[in-house]
Amino acid sequence: MIAKTTKIHDTKNLVGALPSVKFLNAKYLYIATANARCPKADVFIKEGDHVDTFQVIGMRHGPFFEQPIHATCSGTFVGYEKHYHRNGKLTDFIKIENDFKDTFDKSIILRTPEEIAKLTKEEMTEIIKDCANVGLGGSSFPTYIKFQTDKPIDTVLINGIECEPYITADHRLMLEYPYRIMDGIKYVMQAFNAKRALICIKSKYKDIKAVYTQVLKEYPNSGIELCCVGNYYPQGWEVEMIKKATGIQLNPGELPSNRGIINFNVSTIVGIYKAIKYNMPVIKRMITITGDGINYPKNFRVRVGTPIKDLIPLCGGYKNPDKEKVFILGGPMMGASVPSDDCIITKTVTSIIVFDKVNEPEQPCVRCGSCVMSCPVHLEPVQIMNAVKCADKERIKKLNPLRCIECGLCSYSCTSKIPVTDYVRKAKVFAKL
Amino acid sequence: MTIVKENSPHIRRKATVTRMMVDVLIALAPTLIFSFVIYPIKTLIFYVISLAIMNAAEFVYVGLRNMMPKDDQKHTFKEKFEHSYKGKYGINNFLTASITAVIFTLIMPAGAPIYAVIIGALVGIVFGKLLFGGLGSNIFNPAAVGMVFAKLCFGNQYKVVEPPSWWFTLVSGPDITTGATPLTLVNGGALSDIGRYDLLSMFFGQMPGTLGEVYKITILIGLIYLLVRRSIDYRIVVSYLGTAFILAFVAGLSVFGLNNEVNPFHFTMYQMLSGGLLFGATFMMTDPVTSPINSPSRWIYGIVAGILTMFIRFFAALPEGVGFSILLANMVAVVLDHYEWSNPRYTWKKFVAMGSLIVVAGLATWLLISFGGFYHA
Repeated sequence: MIAKTTKIHDTKNLVGALPSVKFLNAKYLYIATANARCPKADVFIKEGDHVDTFQVIGMRHGPFFEQPIHATCSGTFVGYEKHYHRNGKLTDFIKIENDFKDTFDKSIILRTPEEIAKLTKEEMTEIIKDCANVGLGGSSFPTYIKFQTDKPIDTVLINGIECEPYITADHRLMLEYPYRIMDGIKYVMQAFNAKRALICIKSKYKDIKAVYTQVLKEYPNSGIELCCVGNYYPQGWEVEMIKKATGIQLNPGELPSNRGIINFNVSTIVGIYKAIKYNMPVIKRMITITGDGINYPKNFRVRVGTPIKDLIPLCGGYKNPDKEKVFILGGPMMGASVPSDDCIITKTVTSIIVFDKVNEPEQPCVRCGSCVMSCPVHLEPVQIMNAVKCADKERIKKLNPLRCIECGLCSYSCTSKIPVTDYVRKAKVFAKL
Repeated sequence: MTIVKENSPHIRRKATVTRMMVDVLIALAPTLIFSFVIYPIKTLIFYVISLAIMNAAEFVYVGLRNMMPKDDQKHTFKEKFEHSYKGKYGINNFLTASITAVIFTLIMPAGAPIYAVIIGALVGIVFGKLLFGGLGSNIFNPAAVGMVFAKLCFGNQYKVVEPPSWWFTLVSGPDITTGATPLTLVNGGALSDIGRYDLLSMFFGQMPGTLGEVYKITILIGLIYLLVRRSIDYRIVVSYLGTAFILAFVAGLSVFGLNNEVNPFHFTMYQMLSGGLLFGATFMMTDPVTSPINSPSRWIYGIVAGILTMFIRFFAALPEGVGFSILLANMVAVVLDHYEWSNPRYTWKKFVAMGSLIVVAGLATWLLISFGGFYHA
């Protein structure tokens, strides 16, 4: 097939219709000390200490910001244990034994609508910074840095597209908590003094559209609209989403705020809502467990820190346990594969996908050009691959691999089953030298 | 249960190279069968010879390329064989050699001597493909290399073989028993004989010529199949045939004018239906290995090949230019793919380049025919 690949076979219809299962009381919860953006952390509590839900128990240190660590349940700090983090590294986790009382920390308050209406952007930024809100779509970029922009913003885009196949976490969140999302959007619009907000969804999701046409009637003259965009992959990439929703084409590397646009994932919006309304950091999230290695794919609402091993039995266990499995945190196109199922759900884990390992033999490239046609940033992956094979640094630099967003479409569309994306990753390393 | 690590993306599309190759073979099948009906013995001999030579060459090449390195230990033949072929010679090697063999069979003239077929097949696969590194690495279309080599070396020993007479009477055509293909008739500018073939019989293939290039119906069936299955890029087909059509029309206008008894459209369709234009556009130009990698370059590639084909037909000593123009365009494809300027985006520059290529070629055709004394009615 010599053609641009846009549609990716997925099984969303199987899981998207199922309501989320609430699994909020794991026996032990694990909180990461370090993550991909913050390599170091200080922990303020000692073993045996009692912690409350939402209590600040440590501080992560990133290259240009600090991020408080919050306990996600009340209980006793038992010690440290090593588990796999989302980024595939073995990381120290703070182990908390749940006492199932869920006593709140004293920092949790209830802001009345009048109080919220008085909040300025700077105050909101401070609240969000203290609550350690990050981009929950998977980027884990600190939200308060987005809030610190001094450019005038007139449009807020809400990314509910979730263009990766198999994942339905955002889909369920949008269906089950529409009012939190609407209020969160209102707070963000208030902060930036934006006139317009667009909730972007895939046009094929008739159920979300039905919910939001009803809900939007309760928010007249708020400037919030529903925006149905394309069904293709990678529609959820911010450049594609902005282009489709507003018609603005960003230049490579340009920030959306330059054009008066700011965009948030729907899960991030719910996080912002909780932070501003109650001072609550993110301690719960929606995840999807799916894939052909799982018996009964399901959606879950879990506490951050729940070990995945607790959730697998609720899905009926693994299918075909004698086969080799690939364990993916995140989507099947961009998600990271971890070497063990001993991992912990962090804030940015959107889904757990278990596939049976498929070994497809690599064929020689026949230059069909599918990768070139599919590339959303207009690179030529096959040329980059050939340049990497020759280790020709000059050629690699000229082919500009740093623009690559690692969407994985080149490997996906390759008719010869070559892992083209891996070569482009190598090229990125070369180009940075 | 074991968990293994792999890099993203974790899912792959179903389409494979094997499927694309099988599609090409399926698309070639009607033409091959038809050619077998018209020339049973010739087709069978040519086909068996080229299939055997090309597959044998591919097989030997894979063995030589993956030969066991010399060490002081003794190895049995079985070990050596397994080292060379296990996991290295697959269905794709067989399919690609077979496609080349079928195409080569169908573009050989029915009157070619058998030694020309043998040498052409060998040169085509070895010098056209294997010396460059086998599947996916060749610059030139191997079938075209073989055909052109055989033609240049043994062209004077080719005889014109008429199709059997039942084929002429089957579809009511004119009584033609000429010793010339439609293109040799008009080569050199003697256009007075153009009425000896009418378009309908050319469309059905009631003319002497190569084994497979003349049956336009079966080729069109293959073309439609490949386009529907998306196993070839429509851009190359459209730009190649479109350019050829425009240039043939310009030439027809320049030769006959509007108020002549011969319609310029008749001349245009005469050019489109004769020779290997349609066959080359469907099966040879669209070979992904020898065409450029991005879509704007593919448009340019088709346009360049179309111009070359028509220029060779109009102004060169050869009656037919498809094979040569495909080889020349293959070289252009390499240039178009150079990393300094290769870019998958459509820019104004590229549109201007494509437009000016066609306009300049059209202008040159008109000038050369009107004032250069090349073609005349």
